[in-house]
Amino acid sequence: MTRSWFRRHRSFGKTCVLTVLVVLTYYPLFFMLQTSFKSNSQFYANFWAPTWPFHMGNYSQAWSSIAPYMLNSVIVTGLSTLGVVAVSCLAAYAFSRIDFPGRQALYYAVIALLMVPSALTIVPLFVLIRSMSLMDTRWALILPYIAVGQVLGIFVMRAFFDGLSPEYFEAARVDGASELRAFWHVAVPLVRPVMVVVGILQMISAWNDYVWPFLVITSNSLKTLVVGLVSFQGLHTTQWGPLMAGYTIASVPLLLVFFFTMRYFIAGLSQGGLKA
Amino acid sequence: MTAIAPRATKASSRTVLAGRESASPVGSRRQPARGRKALVGYLFILPTMAFAATFMYFPAVSAVWHSLFNWTGIGNGTFVGLHNFVALASDPVMRTAVVNVLKLAAFAMLVSVLVPLPVAKLITSLRSQRAQYVWRVLFVVPLVLPSVVIYLLWQFLYDPNFGPINRLLGLVHLPQQLWLGSPSEALYAIMGIGFPWVQGFALLIFIAGIQAIPAELTDAARVDACGPWATFRRIELPLLKGQLRLVLVLNMIWTIQDYTAVLILTQGGPVNSTMVPGMYLYQNAFDNQNMGYASAIGVVMFVIMAVITFLNLRYMRPSVDYSRRER
Repeated sequence: MTRSWFRRHRSFGKTCVLTVLVVLTYYPLFFMLQTSFKSNSQFYANFWAPTWPFHMGNYSQAWSSIAPYMLNSVIVTGLSTLGVVAVSCLAAYAFSRIDFPGRQALYYAVIALLMVPSALTIVPLFVLIRSMSLMDTRWALILPYIAVGQVLGIFVMRAFFDGLSPEYFEAARVDGASELRAFWHVAVPLVRPVMVVVGILQMISAWNDYVWPFLVITSNSLKTLVVGLVSFQGLHTTQWGPLMAGYTIASVPLLLVFFFTMRYFIAGLSQGGLKA
Repeated sequence: MTAIAPRATKASSRTVLAGRESASPVGSRRQPARGRKALVGYLFILPTMAFAATFMYFPAVSAVWHSLFNWTGIGNGTFVGLHNFVALASDPVMRTAVVNVLKLAAFAMLVSVLVPLPVAKLITSLRSQRAQYVWRVLFVVPLVLPSVVIYLLWQFLYDPNFGPINRLLGLVHLPQQLWLGSPSEALYAIMGIGFPWVQGFALLIFIAGIQAIPAELTDAARVDACGPWATFRRIELPLLKGQLRLVLVLNMIWTIQDYTAVLILTQGGPVNSTMVPGMYLYQNAFDNQNMGYASAIGVVMFVIMAVITFLNLRYMRPSVDYSRRER
């Protein structure tokens, strides 16, 4: 009897396990959200549950402190993402489709950089940025981000171009199209879904990077969001409401990007695993 | 670093000539166009090479070079041979850091399989496609939250005075803990971040792997009266070898490299109990201007990671070699 009961309710049991895991995973976020609407007295009096009335003022207070940081992050993330997509698309196309001496060796020289940890480069890179007088500028973030991010982009896009049937390009060539036009009118439209995946991955890593901007950005007005958030936390250590409101605001932009590009994102990462 | 631009153009003009002289082996019909085509190729990879040379190759080589120096980051420093490495070998803080990062990496690898894999099995075994999709998305969303927000939230959860965890312990009359502030607990508190560790990345990889297993195989097993556990153990698990390898190796590399959590939460303290090599490098380079010594730590970390990558490529070939399909 118990056996058949279990069999019949197996999917119920599975749902229970998954629900518990989801609740535990999201619990810190739930806590963040409910605390973000509280005044300090509400926080101390009613710690565990949401309390009425909601203090939306926490959000405007948090927003006024972190909005400039947010703008910096948008600029740095946006430009570095554009850079990574453009630079790696060009190179991946050349490595896959254009025949030139040393192509394979140069490709491996680029791909080998996947193995170089940031720990190895961080100290000389810091000295280099200082000697280029880029310290405390957005370029100190954008340029190295492109350099690091392009490697994975080239790897992924080249694999994509390699998998394309040569006929696409033959057709363009028969029509007398130059390499540049074949690239722009044939390759770029085809590779667009891959660009999206590369772009999202770059966005996530640029938006979330902490150590490097913490090192090279010293003036408060140029700080990126996650760095600004940590100094914001230092200033508001016991003002829990605005603090949590700030954390919430900081999480929103990437969530939005994710919801609009979810299919690409999930498909891209899953395919990466199948090629492992 | 600026030297790369002239060097690249010189190389390309040389190959333009070479391209004109040598007959082309692969199907380009119009030979005069070949040299120009090569030039276009070099132009296409020029930005990539410039970025790579300036911001990756130059710093990497500079790190290896300066690991042999007593260097403050200004001027050339004094040559000390392998002294930094010798000092590193007998540095007790470095030893603690290595032991800590090994513990963290072992733990990260353990939970990156033990939690996401069963969850992936559970999700893929649901009948409704819609339910599968929804659960998958729910576990993947935390992947795009800023990791710094997660760390700051856990700092709050662990707060000895205000944190929910200690409140909970107080409610059930258990002794409250210092967590990140206690030398004996801080490292475990760092491991605890992200509980229950349903890593979205690993989950996606495992789900894709499970879905790629042909249904005939598992059906055949069922016909042969294999239980679900035997089917999983004998058929699915071996076919997931590639995914397991990817998740394990990436988690190991990420844990060795990334010290953001430590930098934000403990700075390696209290009394070095959460010190990891990355954090120690950071302290040496940017708090003490000991950049030669820091470079030596970077070199050691690089060698360790290169060895891991090499062993991974050399000895753990996947059952199906996808890498030789094209080209």
